[in-house]
Amino acid sequence: MNGKIPKIVLDSVNYTYPSGTKALLDVNLNINKSELVGIMGKNGAGKTTLIRTLNGLIRPSSGRIFINGRNINDQSIAQLSKKIGIIFQNPNHQLFSNTVYEEIEFSLKSIYNEKELVRKKIEETLTLFDFQRYRNRSPLNLSGGEKKKLALASIMCRDPEIIVFDEPTLGQDAKEIEFFINLLRKEQKLGKTIIIITHNVEFTIEFIPRTILMSNGKILADGPSKNILTNEKIIEQASLILPQVSQFKIALNKLGIKTPDNLYKEDDMIDFLSTYLGSK
Amino acid sequence: MSLVKFKNFYFRYKGNEEYALNNINLNIEKNKFILLAGETGSGKTTLLRCMNGLIPQFYSGHYRGKVEIKGNDSTQVNIADLSTIVGIVFQNPENQLVSMNVEHEIAFGMENLGFPRDKIRKKIEEVVQLTGIESIMDKAPFEISGGEQQRVAIASILALEPELLILDEPTANLDPLFAQNIINLLSSIQKKTNITIIISEHRMDLVVPIVDEIILMEKSRVVAQDKRDNIVNSDIFNKLHINKPIIYSIFKKLQTRNYYQGDIPISIPEALKILKNK
Amino acid sequence: MSLEFLNGFKFLKKDTFIHNLDPRSKLLFALIYTINALIFSEIIPLFLIFITLIPILLLGKLFDQWIRSIRGLSFLFILILVLNTLFINLSYAVAMIIRIIVMISSFSIFFLTVDPNELSLSLISMGIPYEYAFSFSLAFRFVPTISMEAQNIIDAQQSRGYEMQKDSIINQIKNLFPLLVPLIICSIRRAFNVAEALESRAFGSDNERTFYFTINFTYKDWIFTTYLLLFLIFSIFIRINFDLMPNWMTWSLII
Repeated sequence: MNGKIPKIVLDSVNYTYPSGTKALLDVNLNINKSELVGIMGKNGAGKTTLIRTLNGLIRPSSGRIFINGRNINDQSIAQLSKKIGIIFQNPNHQLFSNTVYEEIEFSLKSIYNEKELVRKKIEETLTLFDFQRYRNRSPLNLSGGEKKKLALASIMCRDPEIIVFDEPTLGQDAKEIEFFINLLRKEQKLGKTIIIITHNVEFTIEFIPRTILMSNGKILADGPSKNILTNEKIIEQASLILPQVSQFKIALNKLGIKTPDNLYKEDDMIDFLSTYLGSK
Repeated sequence: MSLVKFKNFYFRYKGNEEYALNNINLNIEKNKFILLAGETGSGKTTLLRCMNGLIPQFYSGHYRGKVEIKGNDSTQVNIADLSTIVGIVFQNPENQLVSMNVEHEIAFGMENLGFPRDKIRKKIEEVVQLTGIESIMDKAPFEISGGEQQRVAIASILALEPELLILDEPTANLDPLFAQNIINLLSSIQKKTNITIIISEHRMDLVVPIVDEIILMEKSRVVAQDKRDNIVNSDIFNKLHINKPIIYSIFKKLQTRNYYQGDIPISIPEALKILKNK
Repeated sequence: MSLEFLNGFKFLKKDTFIHNLDPRSKLLFALIYTINALIFSEIIPLFLIFITLIPILLLGKLFDQWIRSIRGLSFLFILILVLNTLFINLSYAVAMIIRIIVMISSFSIFFLTVDPNELSLSLISMGIPYEYAFSFSLAFRFVPTISMEAQNIIDAQQSRGYEMQKDSIINQIKNLFPLLVPLIICSIRRAFNVAEALESRAFGSDNERTFYFTINFTYKDWIFTTYLLLFLIFSIFIRINFDLMPNWMTWSLII
C-alpha cells in the first residue's frame, strides 16, 4: 500500500439531522497513519457526529469519506467497525453479558470464525487488561472505573487500525489516567491511528500533538495543539480555557519574568523554573 | 453547633460485603467552603448521601454509628424535612430536572413543602438572579446547555434555603469554560449567603484555590480533614492518586529537585507571590 | 436505525393560539377528531376532516414538526396500504391511510402543544391524586432523554460488530439482548437518580402541597370547544343521513 495515502480523508462532508439541525458543515480533513489527533469543542459542536460518520453509523448528507483511500459509501457498519473502533463515553451503554469473559467474546465473535482463535484472543485480552481475576464476574458488578476499562478492552480486542476515544479522561482519577496514557503510548508504537475527543485541555497539550477544534459543525482550527490551545481568541470561541501552564506563562511575562517561547508543557515549566530559581 | 456530625459511622450497601464507609468521624461547620477529594470509588458519593438522610433512608443497607444533621438523627427525620437544612446537587443535571420549564423546576421543591405562592414568587426571583438564569426562565431542560441545566439545578436547591449545599461532581459533564463559571458562581454564592458548601470535584485546578477546607477520603475512610493549606502541604495529599492542581505538581517537583522550599502554592497568584519575593 | 420520529411528539413551548389553550380543550380536540375519523370510512369525508386540521396546524405553527412525525411513520402507512389493497381494495386502503393520519395528527398536535406540567394540573383538576399525575408528566419529560439513550446504545453495540439478524424468530429475539439489557439497566439507574433528586427536593413531604401555577379555561377555550362540539354533531348528522348526501361524497377509486 502506498504510504502517502492518508488513513482518513473527509472531503466536504455535510450532515443535517432529519430534524433540520446542521451538525456538520463542509468538513475537510486528512488524518495520516499513526497520527494522534484530538478533537475539541463545546458540547453540540459536532464532534460525536463527526466520529459517527467514520464507521457508517451516520452517512453524510453530502461529501465523501475515504478510509485507506477507499470510499466508505458501499461498506457496512459491520465492515467498517473492524477497522475503526469507537470507545464511547458511557460503558453502561454496551455492557450486557453475564460474565466479563462473555462480554469480550461478544466483541470477537463477529471478527473471527474459528472458535479456538476466539478463545485465544479472549485470554490474551483478559491478561492484557488485568481482568483474569474478574473473568467470571458480571460486568454490572464492576466499579465505574473497571467498567470503563472493560468497555475499552471490548473494542481493543478487535484490534482496529483506527481507535477513537470519546472523553477517555472524564471523571477518571490520576491512576486511571496514567493507565490510559500507557495504553496510548503502546498503541501508538504499533502504528495505530488514534483520535481522542476530549474537553481536557491539560491532557491535550501534554499528550496530543495535533488538535482539531470544532464549533457549530465546522472546523474552527486544525494544527499543532501548542498553537491552537494557547490562542486565547480561538479558545474562548470554543468554550475552553487556556491550559494552566500557558496561563502561568502569561502571568510570569506580565510580572517581567521572561520565558522561552516554546514553553507549553508542565515539564518545560519545571525546567524553566529550575533554572530561574537556581540563578537566584 | 455543627451542621453535620458523623460519629463512628459505618455503612455498607445491601448485598455488598465491603463497607462503603468505614468508621467515619466528621464535623461539618457553618460558613465554610469544603472540598471532598479522593480516588474514584473511595466513598465520596456515599458520604455525601449520608448528609441528607438518603443513606440509610433511600438506599438501604447496614449501618452502625450515627449521623446528626443539625442535631437530628438522620435515620429518624424525613428526607423531605431535611431538605430545608441540606440540599444536594448531583452529577448529571439531566436527571435532576423533572419539569418542562425552568420556572416550574425552581418552584417544584417549594410547592412540595407547601410554601405560600407569594413566597415562591419572591424566592424564584431571588435565586434566578443569584444564579444568572433570567434569560432561560421558560425553556425546557433539553433546550438549554449542560451548564445552564446545572445552574437551574443549583437554583432549584437554593430556593429551599438550605444551610448546607452539597455538590457531587457538578461539572463532570460540562465544557471547561462553563465548569469554571459554575465554580466561580459557587464561590460568590458562598460569600454572599454564608451557607456551607461541600463539593466533590475532579477539576482541582479550579476548585482547590477557592476552598477553605479539604476532606480527603481513601478506601472508605476519611483520612484527613483540615484547613486547605495544611492538607495541601501534607504527605497524604501528595500520595493520593487524585488529580492535583498543575501549579501544585510543578512546585512539588521543584521541591524534590531542591529548587524550592516552603509551602506549595496551588494557584497562579500564589505562585507569583512566591516568585516575586525571591 | 433511527428513533428521530419521536421528536414529532415532543412538546416545545411556543406562544400561539393553540399552545395557549387549556390542556383539557386540547384533549377534547384529540378525542373528537379520533371519533370523527372512526365514523367515516369513505375517502371524501375523511379528506375533508383532514383539511380542517390544516388551519389548526398553521395556527399552532406546528407544520414542520407534524410533517416530521408523519414522515417518521411512513413505514406504517406503507404497511396499511399494502395490506388493505391486498385484502380489500386500493380505495379502502387510501381511506384508511387518511383515517390513521387524522388520528395520529390530532394526538401529535395534542402532545406537541400540551406542556406536560399543565397536563398533570389538568389531571389533578379531574380528581387524580398529585403523585399519579406527576409521574405521568415525568414520563413525558423523559421520553426524549431515553430515546437518545437508546440511540447511543444502538450505536455503541453496532460499533463492536453487533448486527440485526434476519434469520429465525428465536435468534432475532436473542439478538435483542445486547440492546435491551443496557437500556433496561440504564433506565433503572436513571430512575434511581431521578428518585433521589426528587427526595432531596421534598417530594412526598407531609406538608400540604401548594400549586404555584394554575390552568385557566378562558373564553378562547369556550370558543374552541364549542367549535369541536358543533363539528362532532355535524359529522354525526352527516353519517346518519349519509344516503341523502350528494354523490361526490361517496366517490371512490375504481380499484
